[in-house]
Amino acid sequence: MVSISLRNICLDYPLYGAYDFSLKRRLLGHIIREPGEMRIIRAVDNVTIEAEAGARIGLAGPNGSGKSTLLRLIAGVYPPSSGSIAVQGNVVPLLGLNAGVNLDFVAEDNIALLLRISGRKPTRSVIDDIWAFTELEARMQRLPLRMFSSGMLMRVLFATATAFPADILLLDEWLSVVDEHFAEKAQERLLNLVSQAAIVIIASHDQPLLRRTCTSIINLDHGRIASTVTVEPPATHTFELCEKRA
Amino acid sequence: MHHTSETPRRPSVLHIFKIYYPDLFGGTLTVIRDICASLKDAFASAVLVCSRSAAPRDIVVNGVQVERVRSFGNLLSLPAAPTYPWRLWRKIAEHDLLALHAPFPLAELVFAFGFGRNRPLVVHWHADIVTHAGLRWFIEPLMRRTLRRAKAIIVSDHVLVDNTPSLREFEDKCHVVPFGIDTSGYDWPKIEPHHVNDRGRLVLACGRLVPYKGFDVLIRAAAAHSFEVWIIGEGAERSRLQQLILDLGLGDRVRLLGSVNDCERIKLMCLADVFVMPSVTNAETFGLAQLEAMAAGRPVVNTALDTAVPRVARHGMEAITVPPGDAEKLGEAIDTLIRDPERRRCMGLSARTRALTRYSATAFRQGMEAVYRDAVAAPSEERSAIAEPPQATGWLDTVRIAAALAWSDMRHRYVRSLLGPFWMSLQMAIVVAVLGSVIGQMSNANMLARLPMLALSMTAWTFLNSVVLDATTALQNSASLIRDRALPPVIFLLQCTFRQALFALHNACVPLALWLILSPHDLSHALAALPGLLLFVACTFALSLVLGAMATRYRDLKPIIESTLMLAFLASPIIWSSDMINHRSTVMRLNPLTHLFAVWREPLAGGHIDPTSIVYVLVALALLIVASVLTLVHLRKAAFWI
Repeated sequence: MVSISLRNICLDYPLYGAYDFSLKRRLLGHIIREPGEMRIIRAVDNVTIEAEAGARIGLAGPNGSGKSTLLRLIAGVYPPSSGSIAVQGNVVPLLGLNAGVNLDFVAEDNIALLLRISGRKPTRSVIDDIWAFTELEARMQRLPLRMFSSGMLMRVLFATATAFPADILLLDEWLSVVDEHFAEKAQERLLNLVSQAAIVIIASHDQPLLRRTCTSIINLDHGRIASTVTVEPPATHTFELCEKRA
Repeated sequence: MHHTSETPRRPSVLHIFKIYYPDLFGGTLTVIRDICASLKDAFASAVLVCSRSAAPRDIVVNGVQVERVRSFGNLLSLPAAPTYPWRLWRKIAEHDLLALHAPFPLAELVFAFGFGRNRPLVVHWHADIVTHAGLRWFIEPLMRRTLRRAKAIIVSDHVLVDNTPSLREFEDKCHVVPFGIDTSGYDWPKIEPHHVNDRGRLVLACGRLVPYKGFDVLIRAAAAHSFEVWIIGEGAERSRLQQLILDLGLGDRVRLLGSVNDCERIKLMCLADVFVMPSVTNAETFGLAQLEAMAAGRPVVNTALDTAVPRVARHGMEAITVPPGDAEKLGEAIDTLIRDPERRRCMGLSARTRALTRYSATAFRQGMEAVYRDAVAAPSEERSAIAEPPQATGWLDTVRIAAALAWSDMRHRYVRSLLGPFWMSLQMAIVVAVLGSVIGQMSNANMLARLPMLALSMTAWTFLNSVVLDATTALQNSASLIRDRALPPVIFLLQCTFRQALFALHNACVPLALWLILSPHDLSHALAALPGLLLFVACTFALSLVLGAMATRYRDLKPIIESTLMLAFLASPIIWSSDMINHRSTVMRLNPLTHLFAVWREPLAGGHIDPTSIVYVLVALALLIVASVLTLVHLRKAAFWI
């Protein structure tokens, strides 16, 4: 059973200044009784979210409202300061595409390594499937990523990241993929991925996109839930797809 | 579950203290017992304590489950129970609320290090640390950390908050719940005091026979006057007090009654003429015994401590308060009451009234229950469930990913050059050759025979050195994988060890070649060295885990670690061996690296390992493992540091 349950979650994000990284300063501060005032920001403030299988949740809000932090909290990057969090299911966070790339390696090896990092076995057929999606020439598989243009690099990374379905999909900013033709294809693949996942949480500034893909939109402001909007099904094509699969 | 009859499950409370019935009787224990008994409808209680008796570990006292952890005597007033923190940590998960009866540094240790963070904690502040004040520097930080994470702190009187610096800091969390007493047991209308004891000179005191209770002061006070003193209680001071009584020749007037059961004690309280609370230090925070005496309608003589003692029974109203430790004044005050039956009667009456109105059991129960309920229910602040990390990446996955990353690092070396890591081996061969010739010049021993061991030691040192140095930057270099892919940080510290192990295997070709050329080949020695090598690798990994995490949190540690490693290299028998220099110098014997190398080098050379080396390495490993466990707990916050 796939579910996410956040109850009264708060996250105090410590902002380490240059001095806060110094052990000497910290010890000295103890001796000369200067309380090391660490600045703390409440990045997530008393957030409660319950999501069952089939939920598509959009996170909206201005920059610094805690969207990405909340996603990382669900992914387990940050431990909550208080409140309880229970996540059941295999979480795939797609927060940044570049993580774990080694530009000196050939494309093929990079794909294999990225798949291993996400706990998949990189077989020949899987890599070939991924490569087919990028629509790049087969011989480029053997070239180091350093030689790829940024657009090509994006294609490879995107194709790898979205190769496997997930129970819980966390997306930060609808992945911006260059190249108009590929963007369309990428969109389609992502929507397909979204439709297969049991729970999807998307953080984005793009309101129309959130309305298209999500069942409810949570507006965040300074880490608090400002409002929760349930999206009336506008009966678009993509949404029907979601419902059938879920 | 022990109680299946109740439909809504009662939240369970774990009381944490050092000792409990039936091993001892005393004020604090009475409080714990009363809490358990009076809240039994709302909370299921359990008690975790230490005990010196080997008798059954789990017992039931007054319907409360008590687990007694074996202790091997007392060390600085603390039970020496090495397994207590471990048991406490195991029990925490089974309960909804933790009630720590402070001070108890053994338990504070557990909380201060961040264990049990997912359960609300209530601290019952019974006393400040007064004895062994020299240990304050160690205990106080533990106490502060424990208080900081507590949901609520319960004190018996507000004066404690004002007079205790560590409590003042957390004043907003402090709740004043004065102890209460069930006065119904004290109604003995049939026994009028003068019927039993017409002499009107029986003085009663009650408490554990420990130094802070000041019973020696009372005994010395008795010497100058003619009243009779009975002291209820048992404890370590007994023989000393008994000696004092004999020395002063008071054997006929001063009696140590030992432990007395509740019913008997109440009876004694009712027949005494004056009750004395001669405590000499602030360890006496409340004086539950004087409250019992007040309930029995006895006038009290107490001492002017900075605690609730002179506020429970107030000077001139229910008591005469004298300076603590002053035998003369104490004697005079008692004598004043003995000589004035009318005053005794008045004071006794007002004492009973005060006990009934101000310190009732009902008020105590309600106060406690309110604090406990708030702690359990409230918007579960501090109740982050760490029990289940959101992404359940098992240990196997962690190791697998770390190995994949390390393997790719090694291949990376081959991408840039054909020889790959063998370049380093080449460099190593040159270093060994040069060092070998230099050392050969310095000592006239046969250097050629030493060369394989020198090369192997260098390989091992290079491994340890690079693992630790890599670890100091590993987390920062993998920031994006930690933050964007939610990989556990420990992977990247493990990766350092794996990667350097692969490189060390490359380097090992140098000593291997030298060994094949220069030494008689004896495989059994190599096998004998394997356990030692495993210890070496385990210590290296644990060290890198601890230092890697700390260097990420505190960036100024990296240069310190670098220079320390350099120093360690020079100060340890790596390029030189112990028989080359002044045999077994102190620095060398204290240096853990000496032993860490000895545990595998000695058997490899066909010798026997010195048992002290094994002990040394095992102790070092145990310490490192403890430190690693703590590091792993704190590593959850690593994403904030990078």
